[in-house]
Amino acid sequence: MSTLANQLIIDYSKCTGCRLCELACSAKHEGKFQPSLARLKIVKYDSLGLDIPNVCPPCEEAPCIEVCPVYAMRRDPVSNMVYVVHDKCILCKSCVGACVNGVIRLDTYAMKIIKCNHCDGDPECAKICPTGAITYGPVSSISTVDRHGKVDRYLREVKRVASVEEAGGDV
Amino acid sequence: MSSKGYMGRILRVNLSDGTFHIDPLPSEWIKEYIGGDGFAAHVLYTEVKAGTDPLSENNKLMVSTGPITGTLWPMSGRTVFVSKAPLTGIWGESHVGGFLGPELKYAGYDMLVVEGKSEEPVYILIQDSDLQIISADDLWGSTTDHTTVSIQKKHHDPDIQVAAIGPAGENRVRFASIMINHARAAGRTGMGAVMGSKNLKAIAIRGTGAVEVADHEGFVELAKDAHRRVRENPQAKEMGKWGTWILTAVKQEIGELPTYNHKTGVFSGWEKLSGDFIRPRYTISDRACFGCSLGCKKVNYIPDGPFAGTLEEGPEYEGLMAIGSSLGIADYPTTLKANQICNKFGMDIISAGATIGFAIESFVEGLINENDTSGITLKWDDSKTVIKLLKMIGRREGFGDVLAEGSKRAAEFLGRGTEKFALHVKGMEISGQDGRTHRSIGLGHATGARGADHLRSLVVVDQLGYEEVAAERWGADKLPEIINPYTEKYKATAVFETENAYAIRDTLIVCWYSVSWPPIFWMKDFAEMLPLATGEQYLGKVENLITIAERQITLKRMFNAREGITRADDRLPDRFTKEPMPEGPGKGQVVNLEPMLNDYYRLRGWDLETGLPTKETIKRLSLEWAL
Repeated sequence: MSTLANQLIIDYSKCTGCRLCELACSAKHEGKFQPSLARLKIVKYDSLGLDIPNVCPPCEEAPCIEVCPVYAMRRDPVSNMVYVVHDKCILCKSCVGACVNGVIRLDTYAMKIIKCNHCDGDPECAKICPTGAITYGPVSSISTVDRHGKVDRYLREVKRVASVEEAGGDV
Repeated sequence: MSSKGYMGRILRVNLSDGTFHIDPLPSEWIKEYIGGDGFAAHVLYTEVKAGTDPLSENNKLMVSTGPITGTLWPMSGRTVFVSKAPLTGIWGESHVGGFLGPELKYAGYDMLVVEGKSEEPVYILIQDSDLQIISADDLWGSTTDHTTVSIQKKHHDPDIQVAAIGPAGENRVRFASIMINHARAAGRTGMGAVMGSKNLKAIAIRGTGAVEVADHEGFVELAKDAHRRVRENPQAKEMGKWGTWILTAVKQEIGELPTYNHKTGVFSGWEKLSGDFIRPRYTISDRACFGCSLGCKKVNYIPDGPFAGTLEEGPEYEGLMAIGSSLGIADYPTTLKANQICNKFGMDIISAGATIGFAIESFVEGLINENDTSGITLKWDDSKTVIKLLKMIGRREGFGDVLAEGSKRAAEFLGRGTEKFALHVKGMEISGQDGRTHRSIGLGHATGARGADHLRSLVVVDQLGYEEVAAERWGADKLPEIINPYTEKYKATAVFETENAYAIRDTLIVCWYSVSWPPIFWMKDFAEMLPLATGEQYLGKVENLITIAERQITLKRMFNAREGITRADDRLPDRFTKEPMPEGPGKGQVVNLEPMLNDYYRLRGWDLETGLPTKETIKRLSLEWAL
């Protein structure tokens, strides 16, 4: 990347799963409270007590751009943000399927692709987040490590507990 | 439907004939009840006749929300279940956090009313306007968490919100809970048994719609400012870090940590049940309910010892008390394991712990023996037996079948003077407070519509000595008595005013923690917010909100009166009125209930002799239709 553009940065150890970001996002972009049309998503694993924010990330090679058959998905050379050119979009949903974080959606009422635009540099989700799990600033690589670390620790425990249960133990 | 915030529709499902029906939300209800348990109270009063068996098909179960459920307002993601209570046979309600209520609104409904009874085990699936009743044969007998995940997997959608019962609800344990999001419990009064009696294993909801408010910009701005207030409030910050565990040390300090079945308020092992001890050793993550900045839920993991491998949320202070200090157990892992069993089986940890405490004390005092208890020797500080008993209760095995009836019925069954150790009001077990060291909760326990209740009128201002707030709310002329926890004077005033504010809280619906201590939100904040949310200017005046609160509390009282409740039932167990607190800061204190009751009835406009609403009060609150 040529510039150090601001990105949504996630600290995976801080998310409480309150979904205020989804509410604030839809409040800003839809003018109502509708998490199903939020441009980001909290993935919740209640049995593990684990919450993972999925946002439009700093994709260096964005699958949504690669997959788009009509070149409607483009990257702004200054901000590095990926955006949709709605006039060109044919609503094929390829980008919805290709997004590794699952945060591109088709609004089936308005019939248009909806995608995060970082609120043009002042993202609501980062402002409302009560714990600092979502912040907005220059990208760093630490958050990626945290994400894997947290999930990995959980999975190890789950496996261990399952093996005790299988052996007939009372967990 | 002109008022905003509401979806304007009530969904009814009749399990007897398997049909759904959608009613418009009566617009006049909004000014009369606002929402939440207010709407549900109207339905329960008009549609469930006096004398109905709570476990019969004639009982109904309401799942209700309020005008700001699903919006950005802090801690507004709550849901209420209302039904005639299996535990008490009177008014039953249980509020729960998690994510269910907002999902119901996004699906397009303010309230769900479950009627009738299915022949076979089923669950209800609501996906926006797609409504189904689906066989739950393969889920019957399974735990709440397994049920939840199975339904999500079956329909390929992990975002389906599920309210499930476990084996306890199926077995109609009188204090069975309904579980949401794995560990959030609609615990009290036995709502899970109502579902069990209807052969209803779960209610699964997925909604993709929107909640819209009257003045979007104004509401969002106010809600953001409200979140800022939550974040900057010093007590709320502490609560976010420690959860309700913070209370263990507070309660111990003021001599009100229920110990040995409420015998005393001081527990020598309290430190092992305090936040300072638990958090650094066991807590692995902090979680929140929908739309909450505070995040009081703690996920904990036990690395070693007899309960190694236990991964579970909680328990709250009430669970630490009910399984810990109240049973003489100074061991956090035991309370977490007990909480996990209660969550998986789907039962209320407060009533479960209190009923076990009743049995232990009856045994230790020699009133019952091994012939009654399936051969089990009961004693204080016995983790292993408590865990065993909890499972027996959930399965209704042996002595567990007796305890599954709750302490009141268990004492009636066992007899021999065990009644004096059954600590309940109107059949619901006493929660983790004690009127001897906090007079206003004595009055609250005695007068609560659902029995010994710590969530409808618990005054914090007097107990913790917030002088300025007390002066503002109740008048400086009532100081210092009104904040003296050891005197009955003015306590009815504090309970009356607090209960009114909590009644509005329960119609919106917002969490207890946004009103529990000063100065986060109170009536004037709700009056400022409600017109922005609903467009109803009537709801913008505190005096109108007070009338709505009084109407709701009196309507619940009328429901109970119809079931035979009078002043004679507004009593406390002798332990609180006749046995002086044996030690600690409140040593020698007892509750003198009668003068507080007189004051309270006067403020409520209820007859002093019968404790029932007078004709004038019923007229003033426009409740003549209920006569």
